[in-house]
Amino acid sequence: MANVKFYCDSERCIECNGCVTACKNENDIPWGINRRRVVTIKDGEPGERSLSVACMHCSDAPCAAVCPVDCFYTTDNGIVLHNKDTCIGCGYCSYACPFGAPQFPESGAFASKGKMDKCTFCAGGPEETGSAEEYKKYGANRLAEGKLPLCAEMCATKALLAGDANIVSDIYRKRVIKRSMSNLASNVGIQKSLLGSSPDLTGKVTK
Amino acid sequence: MNAMKWSSKNISFFNVKLSLFAYVLITLFALLSFSSTFAAEEKLGNINNTVNQQLGIKSPATDLWRAVRQRKFDGSEGLSSTTQANSLGANELINVKGQEWRNFRMGQLVPYAAYLLVGVLLALVLFRLIRGKIKIKAGRSGKKILRFSPFQRFVHWSVAILFVVLGITGTLLTFGKSGLIPIIGSSAFGTIAGFGKLLHDYLGPVFGIMLLIMLFTFIKGNFANLTDMKWFLKGGGMFGNHASAGRYNGGEKAWFWLAILAGAVIVVSGVILDFPYFNQTRDDLQLSHLVHAVAGIALLAASFGHIFMGTVAMEGAYEAMKTGYCDENWAKEHHDLWYADLQKQGTTASSDADT
Repeated sequence: MANVKFYCDSERCIECNGCVTACKNENDIPWGINRRRVVTIKDGEPGERSLSVACMHCSDAPCAAVCPVDCFYTTDNGIVLHNKDTCIGCGYCSYACPFGAPQFPESGAFASKGKMDKCTFCAGGPEETGSAEEYKKYGANRLAEGKLPLCAEMCATKALLAGDANIVSDIYRKRVIKRSMSNLASNVGIQKSLLGSSPDLTGKVTK
Repeated sequence: MNAMKWSSKNISFFNVKLSLFAYVLITLFALLSFSSTFAAEEKLGNINNTVNQQLGIKSPATDLWRAVRQRKFDGSEGLSSTTQANSLGANELINVKGQEWRNFRMGQLVPYAAYLLVGVLLALVLFRLIRGKIKIKAGRSGKKILRFSPFQRFVHWSVAILFVVLGITGTLLTFGKSGLIPIIGSSAFGTIAGFGKLLHDYLGPVFGIMLLIMLFTFIKGNFANLTDMKWFLKGGGMFGNHASAGRYNGGEKAWFWLAILAGAVIVVSGVILDFPYFNQTRDDLQLSHLVHAVAGIALLAASFGHIFMGTVAMEGAYEAMKTGYCDENWAKEHHDLWYADLQKQGTTASSDADT
């Protein structure tokens, strides 16, 4: 597979938190850890938008750059993973990450930080693929089974897209063009007959 | 315009906090990096605005996401941000501060701290080679004077050993990636660093307590006076001339207060990092780390000087803290006013170390 990416379409996300639930269940994530969360801007106000956020698997990952023990690695698919055996729970990745992706279980005396946990794009970790050890430490390895991350697969409105970056951007580009065309048509006042459809302000195009 | 307002606010925010510690060198580098980061940010914003103006498009979404990126959740832009996840800061969609922290740590802190520490070490080696060992000119008298009580030595060595352990484990985290991982690999280093972090986390608060005890143990005789001013003007007698000193000379006093003040800064910022369960935000932790690292490296560099003077540089200095007793001629040469006081009280041979 080529480079993989997440993309969340804020025009479609309805803040159902289905992705969050799917992620927690599929990866058997302990309490207090949120590999994925939905953030709503201007909740209840005009212009409200929601976005589902997890690790964005950056090309130039800040977490990997600042990690003092160098426990991060990027797979051939562009997925940023880390080795929990090497991780020392210092928290530097969480200072550097712009998305708040790294999570820390409170373990040990004085509730000290445990090993960091984050979204793996459902690609497991450095342990043997499909092993119980891998599942225990990193969660499911759906990619090895030929499946995509469950959060995106479960998304009811198809707001959250995951997969080959080219395909994801193609899907999103088509959506944007369709929305822009309909908006433009209604704003400029292009004739219904010219476009063969009747766009309205919400971006819906009806035949 | 908005981007400009935002950036100048943030520059002064870091500026004020950093200048508190007045470590001019590192501060300068930090400010340089921050200002260049923000200059780039402004430029990008301007380009976006120009493009939008040229196309005649006013996209509300662009403004919304820019505002989100600039974290205008203080009400001025009417932005609110909520989430069902209940961890602190989870409602924050994007935190661009992390990038500044990353740039500072990787671009300035790690390299310049290395230059500073290696530079100080080289300077000390150079000093030793040129100046040679500072000998007791009159030779040893063989007569011993009590300089430090057992309790004073216990406090000194407790703080010293803790400082060395914390210094080593701290620099391990700072320089391990560039210095050790290429040699031993990240897996082996992870094991060492994991143990080091545990030591650092647990011994840090103990260091704080011992530092406080050290403050009370050594504060007597460590207040600055006119003699210290003269001592500094004479360069501490480094150039062959004589500089008078009491029980502690100007350099020792400066080191004492630096250790106490920088130590306090390190302990406070360290405790904030060590126990992140009192609603510290990510911004707090980033700033604490920055302060902790800068103050720690500065104190470490200064400690090289102290350790150097106390051991290999000067004859008769180390035994005072090791055994508690110093040679009479050493006291005459390096702490003449203290020695005169002792003589006046007739206690040169007695065991009153608190004088």
